[in-house]
Amino acid sequence: MDLYLPIAEVSVNAPLLVALGAVVGFISGMFGIGGGFLMTPVLVFLGIPPAVAVASEANHVAASSVSSVIAYSRRRAVDFRMGAILASGGVFGAIIGVEIFRYLLLLGQADLVVSVSYLVFLGVIGSLMLWESLDTILRRRRGDPPKPRRDRRPVWLYALPFKMRFPRSRLYISIIPPIVLGLFVGILSAIMGVGGGFILVPAMVYILRMPAGVVVGTSLFQIIITTSLTSVLQAGRNQTVDIVLATLLLIGGVLGAQLGARVSGRFRAEELRAILALIVLLVGLRMGLGLFINPDDPFIVLSGAG
Amino acid sequence: MMADLPPPVPQISDTQVSAALTQTEVKVTSGFRGAKISIYGAVFDPEGRPSDIVVTLRGPDEPVRIARKVRIAGLWLNSRPVVFQGAPGFYHVASTRTLNEVGRFAALREYGLGIDHLAIAAPAERRVETLYGIRDMVVSSLGADYYEWRSAVVRLKANGGLYSSDDSGVKFVDPGLFRADISLPASAPTGKYQAQIVLFQDGRPVAIRERALTVEKAGAERALYLFAHRRPWMYGIASVIIALGAGWLASRLFRRT
Repeated sequence: MDLYLPIAEVSVNAPLLVALGAVVGFISGMFGIGGGFLMTPVLVFLGIPPAVAVASEANHVAASSVSSVIAYSRRRAVDFRMGAILASGGVFGAIIGVEIFRYLLLLGQADLVVSVSYLVFLGVIGSLMLWESLDTILRRRRGDPPKPRRDRRPVWLYALPFKMRFPRSRLYISIIPPIVLGLFVGILSAIMGVGGGFILVPAMVYILRMPAGVVVGTSLFQIIITTSLTSVLQAGRNQTVDIVLATLLLIGGVLGAQLGARVSGRFRAEELRAILALIVLLVGLRMGLGLFINPDDPFIVLSGAG
Repeated sequence: MMADLPPPVPQISDTQVSAALTQTEVKVTSGFRGAKISIYGAVFDPEGRPSDIVVTLRGPDEPVRIARKVRIAGLWLNSRPVVFQGAPGFYHVASTRTLNEVGRFAALREYGLGIDHLAIAAPAERRVETLYGIRDMVVSSLGADYYEWRSAVVRLKANGGLYSSDDSGVKFVDPGLFRADISLPASAPTGKYQAQIVLFQDGRPVAIRERALTVEKAGAERALYLFAHRRPWMYGIASVIIALGAGWLASRLFRRT
């Protein structure tokens, strides 16, 4: 069943998009990421104009994140206070990011920046996560004692001013690092069309040292706020949100996210991280490949001419 | 671009061509998968000389921004973008024989018949302007490379099914009565289309007809498109409410089961 999208102005196969939304939603609910880093490249590959894909995808990420945050909050696995602080940085980041993206479109270098961002961020984070999680898995298999957790958190987390208590995360730290982190993720989310969970989750574990149990839910909570704002900004500034496309994706997405959130409890955390790391790494390499292989056609049409 | 097109055809005889489209409006609705347009017409020639017909269907002009991939330090990067004006959003040319057999170069060029003869911007001199707030954008002529750039515009459009030509697309179904079928892909832009029907005899254009076609969004597609462009902020908020509502609904449904 083909459906003509009013904003993207292309005809797409509706059941295919719903199924795609479900698969990405499942991954999203399972790993606590938005799934945008997977969906945006796929949409572009299907022929949706990149600007529309990036903007509509933010809407889909918001929907599947709501669906899984509710599931996580029932298990008391969301630190709403930390999420709100992260999001307050994320809001400014999203505004800056949408403007940067507009400027890059005009320069004709948006593709390049998007490819490089995917390659660098997904590549580095994927490799680090893979290395760390495989190490943990191997230690357990060999029966070695787990690596002693460095409970000593970095001093600067405490040295900075504006401290706040985060009871759910059992933290008493300055709000500056979470705000800066949120800002950075907000900028990336607008440029790459992603929620930013793949950066937030490791950053919360390794930098903020939050307990693993609340990381995923909190990351999703902050993603809801940032992507909702990104959707409104993209629609208002660029008119690139395709409501039909977003609705098709989110029908599958919200259902997939529920299933994913249920299944995630059955795996060990390090196994989940290893699988996620592989997916992240593969997507990053695939997106970066275009920079190295010879193009089929030496010329490309750039969007945003009018 | 229509302005610098045909000067009136010299009427050297009573020969006339008449033509019509099977439909003058194409509605783009949610089930739109492209459309098929038929152009049919008749040649009136008291002397019955051999006739050739060239039919073009041309969509609204839209600027095309293209960049060239250049290899810098082992990486394929985009050159700075170049804007081409005068490229129709859709172009199809159909004829009874190959265009070179139908008419002389000058005539084809004058009427813009054939993809090679489209007036895709070639202002004689190079202009560097400030466009879209960006300084130093090359707007047109590229010197020696110009031809390569122009053919890239055509090639990329043709790959998307937007530019095409058919050397045997016009058929005489009966002496003096001809017909051409043109298919419009789903990706064809909306707007005003011009169909041009030119009668050639002896390699010269002797009569011409123009017909208009409108491609526009209709129904829900149109309503959503207008909503997105007239009230963009409301539209954005509505799309977020749908997203958040759907997420909440799904978690409710799953809790019960």
